[in-house]
Amino acid sequence: MLSVKNIIDTENLTVADVNLIMENTATFSEVLSRDFKKVPALRGKTVLNMFFESSTRTKNSFEIAAKRLGADTVNFSASGSSLNKGESIIDTVKTLQSMIVDLAIIRHSDSGAINYISSKINIPVINAGDGKHQHPTQALLDLFTIGESFAEFKNLKVAIVGDILNSRVARSNICLFKKMGMDVTLVSAPMLMPVNMDCFNVKIASCIDDVIEETDVLYMLRMQFERQEKKYYPSIREYNSFFSLDKKRFMKMKEKSIIMHPGPVNRGIEISEEVMENEDEFIERIKINRQVTNGLAVRMALIYLLLASDQLEKEYVH
Amino acid sequence: MFTEIINKKFPAKDIKAPESLIIKNIFIPGKTPNEDLAADILIEKGIIRSAEGIVDTCGIEFDYPLYPGINSEKKHVLGISSNGKAAILNAGGLTCSASFTDMHVHLREPGDEEEECINSGINAALKGGITAMCCMPNTKPVIDNDCLVSFIKMKAAKSDFNIYPAAAITKGLNGLEITDFGVLKNAGAAAFSDDGKCVQDSKLMYEIMRYAKYHEALLILHEEDYSFSAEGAMHEGYYSTKLGIGGISPLSEEIIIARDIMLAEKTGAKVHITHISSKKSVEMIKSAREAGINITCDVTPHHIFFNDSALKNYNTNLKVNPPVRGPEDQEALIAGLKSGVIDAIASDHAPHLDSEKNTTFIKAANGSTGLETLFKASYTKLCIEENLNFLHFLKLISTNPSRIIGHKAGQISSGSNADIAILDTKKQEIFDVRNTYSKSSNSAFDGIKLYGKIICTIKNGKIVFLDF
Amino acid sequence: MADNFVLLNDKDIERIIKRISHEIIERNRGSENLVFIGIHKRGVPLAERIAANIAEMENKVIKTGKLDISFYRDDTIKRLKPAVAITDIPFNIDNTNVILVDDVLFTGRTIRSALNALMDFGRPGSIQLVVLIDRGHRELPVRADYVGKNIPTALNESIEVRLYETDKKDMVTINVKR
Repeated sequence: MLSVKNIIDTENLTVADVNLIMENTATFSEVLSRDFKKVPALRGKTVLNMFFESSTRTKNSFEIAAKRLGADTVNFSASGSSLNKGESIIDTVKTLQSMIVDLAIIRHSDSGAINYISSKINIPVINAGDGKHQHPTQALLDLFTIGESFAEFKNLKVAIVGDILNSRVARSNICLFKKMGMDVTLVSAPMLMPVNMDCFNVKIASCIDDVIEETDVLYMLRMQFERQEKKYYPSIREYNSFFSLDKKRFMKMKEKSIIMHPGPVNRGIEISEEVMENEDEFIERIKINRQVTNGLAVRMALIYLLLASDQLEKEYVH
Repeated sequence: MFTEIINKKFPAKDIKAPESLIIKNIFIPGKTPNEDLAADILIEKGIIRSAEGIVDTCGIEFDYPLYPGINSEKKHVLGISSNGKAAILNAGGLTCSASFTDMHVHLREPGDEEEECINSGINAALKGGITAMCCMPNTKPVIDNDCLVSFIKMKAAKSDFNIYPAAAITKGLNGLEITDFGVLKNAGAAAFSDDGKCVQDSKLMYEIMRYAKYHEALLILHEEDYSFSAEGAMHEGYYSTKLGIGGISPLSEEIIIARDIMLAEKTGAKVHITHISSKKSVEMIKSAREAGINITCDVTPHHIFFNDSALKNYNTNLKVNPPVRGPEDQEALIAGLKSGVIDAIASDHAPHLDSEKNTTFIKAANGSTGLETLFKASYTKLCIEENLNFLHFLKLISTNPSRIIGHKAGQISSGSNADIAILDTKKQEIFDVRNTYSKSSNSAFDGIKLYGKIICTIKNGKIVFLDF
Repeated sequence: MADNFVLLNDKDIERIIKRISHEIIERNRGSENLVFIGIHKRGVPLAERIAANIAEMENKVIKTGKLDISFYRDDTIKRLKPAVAITDIPFNIDNTNVILVDDVLFTGRTIRSALNALMDFGRPGSIQLVVLIDRGHRELPVRADYVGKNIPTALNESIEVRLYETDKKDMVTINVKR
């Protein structure tokens, strides 16, 4: 059973928790490969999807995951809700909880919002991304995807490239990857990194070329030029010359290395058009779509495990 | 207050406040050599008449049932003479001090009386041993005209409490136009401050300082460069990285302090920098003073009590501006208090509604209440943990802030105003914000064990707060 | 205190499996269109043993699969446990004759779950049930087509099946709780 009641960050998961989640993900991955992709395991349970920040991919992924477990889903999104009428977050959450749901999946644009909300309600909560803090389900699906390509996690060389400062994916992935014994290097520029990096305890490189030849897992973060509140990084052109994956760099990589990205890819920024167009040819190496599929399985496993976690059962004896 | 206390304890008797108060067996730091050789204090008509030897109480009979309390295994007793003319307080070896002065509080009146009002602020202050305070002008409307200054003074006078209003530096705290310094000063503004905001325009600040010098007005400055703080909500460091909260670099404060030191040097204005937070700020102020520049500063109890690690669970009650900083900064602030570079401790009492704090860290309002913990928290940190000399400590929360805002501080000596706080310095208690006298409960110290308890606050010779 | 009695030893089990293998071929007139699906966990080796016997007798490849029914139990929510057993049915079951295999038939609820699960995989032509032990106490109208041994039991008794593949030896015991 999991040692935690909520999935809020990757820091509080033990290695045993992570292994259990990986095993269950494999089980649900099999369910997803069936013609009939649904099991009635959580029939009668209701899962609340609360997205205070707009999202299509993650929200759909969670919704499909819950439905494939046979649970009912209720969707709440901030736009068009009474939040616009000045209702406080906690009142909204408590109102929805009063509708008697069994588990809440929450995304919020404020870091720490899920810690706050989960302390106020008494059902299990899964963090679907909070501000610049954590996105644990992304980290777990990434780990599962890596596990599909490599025999063991220990000492795998992972390079995480791009905007570390504003990335919740980076925060949860670094922590989880380190926990599983991987060798993590961050590739970024000063204005894209926090001033104090002590809490990450990782190596730092300033250009993708410094690591490209020895990396097993190249993890490209999404670079959102259009969303930066203040634009400090100079330009896409500058980004391309230091951090982007183009065909030339791709060809330098190890034969068995893999490319990951939390999606959606900004073609021509993180990864060049040319590489993306060869996605099918390099299906064993460019894992971006596989990550999305595994996202479903990981989310099914987490929903299932959280609802199961305090209901320990012995081996069934006839 | 005194009659209320007595009548509550002895409901059968209708007692008026006696003219004289005798405090027996009290330890006066700096005067009585030790706690076993305690002295007595005789107060008549609000003035201390004797604070040296033993006061002879022969001839006064106390035939009312005495009001006993048990504290630190010593017996404290309050009684009243049969003719009602004198009260006697047996302090049983407790410590006394001139009552405290808090030179940085937000009373929220007018405008946000649901958070705090002048009366509730005064009650909280008295519970904290404070009898004088300087309130900040960021009310609604902003205290930027003489009518509002008079309003505050009038309210305070009704409660027989010393409030020194700070008026705004710029109209509506807009950082653009200078207020009527002359008129405001004549109406009773003790200082000028845009606290909560900071004038970003350096030329304007230069003119403000020249004008303040011309009116011999005190400037209390909140130092913040918005371009550094706009995207942040906590100290930029290990924990801001980990928590994914935008960081505020200490440079935000330091750049403006550097600027204002240069302007103060040029203009000769009397500048007080409030709630400094970083090591570099302490260093800059130290060298400015060594160069003879007219500059003073204070720090809050929360900046010396906590560092950013206390925010690891997104504690919104400790979301303050400037943010609590790293351990090195915290140490430098404590060292600054010890060495005398930092003149005063001020609470930055900032009451907020629950709805403003009971939310996500990023959305939560800045500020912590602090009147009731000004003494306890800073005493615990400085005297208990850091072994600071108690007399030096008392200067930081009484003599020095009084001097800066022009308040005639109490002293425990003959002829002085009888503004006294009686303290149990050994008592250790968990601070429980549910018992607060403030209207708000956003205290960063809630649930923390603190040394020191205010047993009694005396203002103008009258007992205005008593908690045996 | 519990007393254990050995009901079947390894030889007994071997004989039963052989007999059932013959019965299956007899009833189905050969092995045409037969597939074997074992219910996790001890139904799986039983299904594989029977299939191996038939494969030998008929001299052809017999398809086998395994089924984990934990997501289909009617008491799932009360008995949730991490699912680590993997269902593996690497063939299409549409219009096949499925031989479903389990070790013990008791209340019938496991079989009900397994039938539901199977229906989600396709539409078999027929389903027949093999059990090693039928201990009675049915709660649902379920019966087995092939039974290794009928053992009327009391509710305070439990049947423990051990198989070489899962437990390092072949043995069935009845345990009485006192």
